[in-house]
Amino acid sequence: MLQAKYFDGRSTRVRAVNLSVDGADLVVAGEDTQFRVPFAAVKVDERLGRAPRRLRFQDGAFCEVRDLDALDSLLSSTAHRDGWVDRMQRHLQFVLFSIVACVALTFAAYKWALPWAAAKGAHHLPPGIGKTLSVQTLNVLDGKILMPSKIAEERQQSLGARFHALQLPEGGTPDSDLLFRSSPQLGANAFTLPDGTIIVLDELLTSIGDDSEIMAVFAHELGHAHGRHGLQLLLQSSAVGAFWTLYIGDISNLLAAAPAAIVQARYSQDLEEQADDYGAALLIRNGMSPALLADALKKLAASHSGSSNGGYLSSHPSTDERMRHLRQLAAAQPPALH
Amino acid sequence: MDKVSGSESPSRAAAPLAPEQLYFTGSGAEYFGIWIVNLLLTIVTLGIYSAWAKVRRLQYFYRHTELAGSGFDFHGSPGRILFGRAIALVMLIAYNYSVRLHSPVTIVILIGIAIVMPWLLRNSLRFRLYNTSWRGTRFHFRGTVAGSYRVFLLNGFLTLITLYVMAPFMHQRLKAYQHDNSWFGRTRCSFHARAGQFYAIYLLLLAAVVVFAIVIGFSGIGGALAALSQVQKHGGHADPHAVFRALAILYGALILMGMTVGPVFHAFVTNLIWSNTRLGEHRIECKMSAPGLVWISVSNFVLVVLTLGLFIPWAMVRLAKFQLESVRLLPASDLQEFLAAEPETLGAVGEEAATAFDFDISL
Repeated sequence: MLQAKYFDGRSTRVRAVNLSVDGADLVVAGEDTQFRVPFAAVKVDERLGRAPRRLRFQDGAFCEVRDLDALDSLLSSTAHRDGWVDRMQRHLQFVLFSIVACVALTFAAYKWALPWAAAKGAHHLPPGIGKTLSVQTLNVLDGKILMPSKIAEERQQSLGARFHALQLPEGGTPDSDLLFRSSPQLGANAFTLPDGTIIVLDELLTSIGDDSEIMAVFAHELGHAHGRHGLQLLLQSSAVGAFWTLYIGDISNLLAAAPAAIVQARYSQDLEEQADDYGAALLIRNGMSPALLADALKKLAASHSGSSNGGYLSSHPSTDERMRHLRQLAAAQPPALH
Repeated sequence: MDKVSGSESPSRAAAPLAPEQLYFTGSGAEYFGIWIVNLLLTIVTLGIYSAWAKVRRLQYFYRHTELAGSGFDFHGSPGRILFGRAIALVMLIAYNYSVRLHSPVTIVILIGIAIVMPWLLRNSLRFRLYNTSWRGTRFHFRGTVAGSYRVFLLNGFLTLITLYVMAPFMHQRLKAYQHDNSWFGRTRCSFHARAGQFYAIYLLLLAAVVVFAIVIGFSGIGGALAALSQVQKHGGHADPHAVFRALAILYGALILMGMTVGPVFHAFVTNLIWSNTRLGEHRIECKMSAPGLVWISVSNFVLVVLTLGLFIPWAMVRLAKFQLESVRLLPASDLQEFLAAEPETLGAVGEEAATAFDFDISL
């Protein structure tokens, strides 16, 4: 015998009933209610905490049971078995396992799956998107942070000619645009927009001076263009933002906005290493030494050491480590390269 | 209000019925198990399980909410919620795309979203209410499509062009559309709050924001003065620590404002809305304490941050308990007398699109 409340599904009237199992049937008996149904036709709600459970009948009527232990013993005499999600939710071991698994999966997704998927996605986006984003970015920056270049026209042309004559590791020559700007705020810097357009600042050209080393910096930037790193970063930060909003947004919209920026710095370090490797391969292909990029990095590090902004190196991994890696690549080349 | 024939109680006027308080009986520890399994399965299935997770979450909260000894229930099907989420995702991507890319397509997409939104929001209300029941009797939303365009599109537009002077009026019209068109079985709800009452609360909100702005202004000026005195002492550059301190005070004051003014406003508006809503001839009374809600919001925020999110289930349960238990139903007659309406079927598309755009207009 199990006490329950019976609702007919047509009004809010409560009827006290007793439930029992007789063979394959469920027997419902109480004030002006008396019937039996095959247990196979009864849908039993899963257990959710200590909420009353319902035994639903096909006509929309149901019985509400509060004594969950008594219901369990009644159900044990029938063919009913709790669902697997239902059991998972209630077992301490599985709950603890879930915490560990959530943390591990989130970390793996962030560290490997997301960069991989974003890189794939960046290569499949229509080129128009990168173009539009770049035009917009340049419109925003020009006149505010980026000023016209003061480098002589002939020097711009000769650097541009050398840049466009570079042989890419995968064959062909760069189809990226090369733009000259100056910026007191950004200092000695060069960067690549989502469509592959490379912007080089006067401050970088003057602090490096040597044309071969400047080509080495361009080789590094072409690595960003080749890998479509701008679009990849955009996709990655959108995905992280979306996940974070779903996870924490219910509780606080203030918190939801914060982390995208923190995540960016870590991602761009991996991308810098990729761009260094591509740059080294490009230099070797053009008969130049990867050590040129290491030399350029050294000069940039020196030019930034006195000022408060990190400029070109702020989002980059340890410069010493990068230089060591590049010099190793250079040492592995035949001595004909300088 | 329709009644079961012959069940009218003759002694109703003589013996007033006792108020029925809403109770929430869920616990954070219990809900944690459901929440973490939901999260894990959602991650493993790349988000597909989130529809099933949503059903479990709502069922947990509805079934632990009790009125007069009986729980509520949620009946939405995960398949429809998943379909709704897919459509919401497409709209969200289109929206983000069009906001970032300024091209002629942007305007077309934004106009398209504006045109379908009222329809989706109306469907969302229908889906949510139709799938909510108490004692086996379902709720219904019967607002018209024309009404949803008037409330969401026309009034929204008027609010914008009057620089939000009409926002309280718009809020009142929205709640009237929502509550006047809500039914429990064959019993209709009604909404009685006037726009003037909304204006009073909005003016209070405005006053609080102005006071905070003055305080923030002073603390910002104080910080700047501190930074300047550092410059005079050391000469040359401003001390970065002093600048950082000034910024920290500013940001801290902004967070404090968000966490105090927001909940106080929410408590006042919720009390106004629900205390002026009736179910048939039954009255509802909502007395949510504003300081209480501030305390819950601030402590939830701090604990969620400190536990990197693991406190979320407890935070949700605390908030639900606090909000729900501030509501009482003042019955005018026996609560056994509601009758169910004819069955209907609806899609979840509207509801999912609405929540994805953060337009949650339910309590």
